[in-house]
Amino acid sequence: MKRILIVDDAATVRLYHREILETADFMVDEAMNGIEALEKALQTGFDLFLVDINMPKLDGYGFLRELRGQDLPQAPAIMISTEAQTNDERRAYAAGANLYLIKPVKPERLLAQVRMLLGELHP
Amino acid sequence: MSPLLEQFLSEARDFLQGIGEKLMQLEAAPADADLMNELFRLVHTLKGNSGLFDAPEMTRVLHAGEDLMDAVRNGRVAYSRPLADRLLDAMDFVGMLCDELESDGQLGAAHAGDSVRLVDALRHLLQPDDAPAEAPAPESTPESAPAPTASLAEPTPVADTASLPLASIPEAVRMQAYRRACAGEPLSWLAYRPHEQCFYQGDDPFFLARQTPELLWSRIEAREPWPPLAELDAYSCMLDFQLLTAAPRAALEEQYRYVMDQVQTTEVPRLALVMPQGDPNGGPVYDDFAADARRLLQTGDLEGLARNASTLLELSSPDLWIASALRWLQLVLETEPENKAILDALVDCLGSLAAPQWGTAGAAETHTASASTSIRQDPAPRNERGQEAEGVADASDEATPALSPLAADALAAVVAAQGEVLALTDEPRWLPGRLKAAAAALSGCLRATGATAKLQDLEAATAAALARNSGAPLLTWIAAVFPAELVGEPGAAAPVTAAPPSPAHSAPQPPEAEGEIKFGRRAEDAISGPKSLKVDQAKIDRLMNLIGEMVVAKNALPYLAGRAEAVFGVRELAREIKGHYGVINRIAEEMQGAIMQIRMMPVSFVFQRFPRLVRDISRKLGKEVELILEGEDTEADKTIIESLGDPLMHIVRNSLDHGIESPELRRAAGKPATGTLRLRAMQESDRVVIEISDDGKGIDPDIIKRKAYAKGLIDETLLEQISDQEAVNLVFAAGFSTTEVISDLSGRGVGMDVVRTAVEKVNGSVALTSQQGRGTQIRLSLPLSMAVTNVMIVVSDGQRFGVPMDRVVETVRVPRAAIRTIKHSLATVLRGRIVPLKSINDLLGLSAPPKANADDELAVLVVRLGDESLGLLVDDFSETLDIILKPMTGVLAGLPAYAGSALMGDGSVLMVLNVKEIL
Amino acid sequence: MAVEYKKNLVVFHDVVGVEDAEALLEWLQKKRTAKVDLSACTHLHPANLQVLMASKPAVQAWPADAPLRAWLEPILTAP
Repeated sequence: MKRILIVDDAATVRLYHREILETADFMVDEAMNGIEALEKALQTGFDLFLVDINMPKLDGYGFLRELRGQDLPQAPAIMISTEAQTNDERRAYAAGANLYLIKPVKPERLLAQVRMLLGELHP
Repeated sequence: MSPLLEQFLSEARDFLQGIGEKLMQLEAAPADADLMNELFRLVHTLKGNSGLFDAPEMTRVLHAGEDLMDAVRNGRVAYSRPLADRLLDAMDFVGMLCDELESDGQLGAAHAGDSVRLVDALRHLLQPDDAPAEAPAPESTPESAPAPTASLAEPTPVADTASLPLASIPEAVRMQAYRRACAGEPLSWLAYRPHEQCFYQGDDPFFLARQTPELLWSRIEAREPWPPLAELDAYSCMLDFQLLTAAPRAALEEQYRYVMDQVQTTEVPRLALVMPQGDPNGGPVYDDFAADARRLLQTGDLEGLARNASTLLELSSPDLWIASALRWLQLVLETEPENKAILDALVDCLGSLAAPQWGTAGAAETHTASASTSIRQDPAPRNERGQEAEGVADASDEATPALSPLAADALAAVVAAQGEVLALTDEPRWLPGRLKAAAAALSGCLRATGATAKLQDLEAATAAALARNSGAPLLTWIAAVFPAELVGEPGAAAPVTAAPPSPAHSAPQPPEAEGEIKFGRRAEDAISGPKSLKVDQAKIDRLMNLIGEMVVAKNALPYLAGRAEAVFGVRELAREIKGHYGVINRIAEEMQGAIMQIRMMPVSFVFQRFPRLVRDISRKLGKEVELILEGEDTEADKTIIESLGDPLMHIVRNSLDHGIESPELRRAAGKPATGTLRLRAMQESDRVVIEISDDGKGIDPDIIKRKAYAKGLIDETLLEQISDQEAVNLVFAAGFSTTEVISDLSGRGVGMDVVRTAVEKVNGSVALTSQQGRGTQIRLSLPLSMAVTNVMIVVSDGQRFGVPMDRVVETVRVPRAAIRTIKHSLATVLRGRIVPLKSINDLLGLSAPPKANADDELAVLVVRLGDESLGLLVDDFSETLDIILKPMTGVLAGLPAYAGSALMGDGSVLMVLNVKEIL
Repeated sequence: MAVEYKKNLVVFHDVVGVEDAEALLEWLQKKRTAKVDLSACTHLHPANLQVLMASKPAVQAWPADAPLRAWLEPILTAP
């Protein structure tokens, strides 16, 4: 089973994504900020990260830069932003994101892209 | 309610609370950048959350609030009190929507108007004072700071409008528009993309579009190909409206004011309309005409030019491109013959048969056409993206017979995004990780589409990329495996609106020194996981009930021990039972304490609403008040804390209304213009004490006395005798209100008796001291916890009753002879004081007379009632007990004589008297 | 009655409101060859418009209201 880490300070958003991902039989873990996410990521391997931008302590960019700076196997990361941050896409890619989506992401769309990144064969 | 909504509402309330607090704090420290950022983050996150639900009104208002906060934290707009007012209003509105979501599970359409007004009010603040009023605020974050308006200002107007489908407007309409533009009317292209859910809000976008003033041309487009009828949702708006209008911007804003977020307008320079169209072939030879025309133009013979054009036009088929160009030439000759640049360009294009390039020819004209102003940048139309996605699917056909449209879309998006990532030319220290992650994403694409045969190539390319520390080898690989145009057009699949420059030409990403976070330092910060746990109150209540039952069950053990000895004669066993009872008793007590600890809440829970309240009210009253909160972390039981809310609110309002004077009066009295209101909480042994003090005008005891007399609360004798201190406490008497004029705020004709009643309901007391001219102090004293009540058991007419110990003064046995009848009432003298006596049997409607003991003494339970003492005649006293008082429920709740009931160790039920009520 | 259903023809009168869209959609699903008479129509809610655009019935008569006709003709004319 593929493991996905949701990194977001908003519990509502975490729950929203968790519900989507769990219905599709992914194993989900959560982190409330970049620091917590990094700790979890270094402890256990994840197959994918879903990362918010604005977070206390360490934001999404900071988390990705640190994560990508590790000499470890690297799993893809989706950065999820709100529409207000239109120009952040390049920053996201520069920090190490592999996809940039705008909140709220439609469940079926998110799942399609998650499956694509994870290499799960599409039906 | 779904758990998601529940979670949202609970979190939203926390956010709203936090936003309110931060705004208050900002008033004191308007330059605090951290505070500002935190505030922005709260609003931003809340907005994001609200977007998950069908609550467009909420999202819209929060979005505007977010933009405003963003402008404030970037210094584009200064923080001000009116700004805080607006934001607070907006948050109140959001709070109200939360309430409605909670009760109804959805939002009614009724709030759309309010939300728009709030958004307008917020957006209004966004306009810098020196900017023209019609410039709408850019909806963007600081990072994007050359906002769309600014970045669009550079290219020529024609380049701006080049993306508009102006060519689809019939020539006649364009010519008409051109004439009107020449007459000085502004031309705008307006794209209106209504929200999908707008029908549910009662919107009729078609009607709105039809009513557009000065409409020149319009069209409707479906956003996506229509699904089969069986799958069509008629109530999900799939229509886009596009139109050309000559209405001034202000009129358009007025017309579309409720849907401004769904509308994008672009100013159309008239030259953008000059677009010859038609069949490029055939017709007479035009070279001669072009040469003649140029000569005529140079000599200034415009009439000759017009004649020539007219003749040639008659000779040409009207469908020809050249005919169209001639018609435009005629039009320009007619409307603005003085504009040589345009005529030149048109004549040139007649020779070259190429569309005129207004970018250079019309350069002189650009002043008339300002940069287009994008109210909202819409993502690329979905159908286009769909097509590109199909292209990808086709390209990988050999590997996968069929990809679902969603999967194809995902594939396009992922590949395009990796193209962007790999094309970045910066070299941060995390570049190897970034390359690996991109390779992992691409590997996902291969595996997801079944093209696993290509995995080996990918690995090789990845290794090369890592070796060279560059994305180039992987880019080459992408170009080979996926269609090239896809990589070159990442914007097609990316959801971002502002089309990023093609990666190939983009400047190297500047090193993000400012944004880079040194993790090493951050790591030293304490990492705080979730420290608190949100638990439904019902669960705590259940724990309380369980521990109550446990205490009762535990209390049965001494009975058991008694029976073991008395009935079965096994003293050893009885002793062991008692020993175990001691252990269980200790555990139960600790457990009870622990559970009560869970119910303890800090008084900040009630204090926190006062900064806002005091601020709002004092401003309304034109007073200046500083609120000081102290001891906010003092804790008490939840019930107690919650019961504090209303009395405190009332006292504070009274103080603001009647206590603290206006600044002028205060200055006249030699006091600082700003009044001080202090809320102070502290724990005193097993009570929590709240003091509310102000430095206002205090209470005039004479006025109170006169008023109490006038209202019949005191008689003439008392009027003479009563001390000033006693007089001011008369404000607590029922039916007393100090206000002559019922004010908007606190008056309402109820006095401080409401406060007293509320406080007494939780076994609290209230006292007031006041010094005229110096201020008033009110002191509330409340028990820390209500959970355990110590009661004295009394017996009367064979029944056992509980009397709360805090009411009991003493128990005495009075000889029957010492009981007198004074004015039909019984009384006795205890230590020189007359104590009225009442028979509990009479009070409870029991017919039996009080029983005396063998010495003909009657048992009198002396209870306290306010400042008075009163004797209750009972048959006998029994032990005192700690009980868990359960309030009366159901029909019994209507019996005011009882404060509640408790289960006893032997399984019987003890009724606890409400002494105040039975007297 | 803003929408009048005849045997194989649906006639729009005056202003056709949002509430009519559902019934219209159902009716048109059953009558795939139905025609539509818009001559007496002065406005129709876009929900109805969407249904017409998606189901593409032949328009037997265009609205007498010229501006409305200008809006509708390009999108409801059979290709």
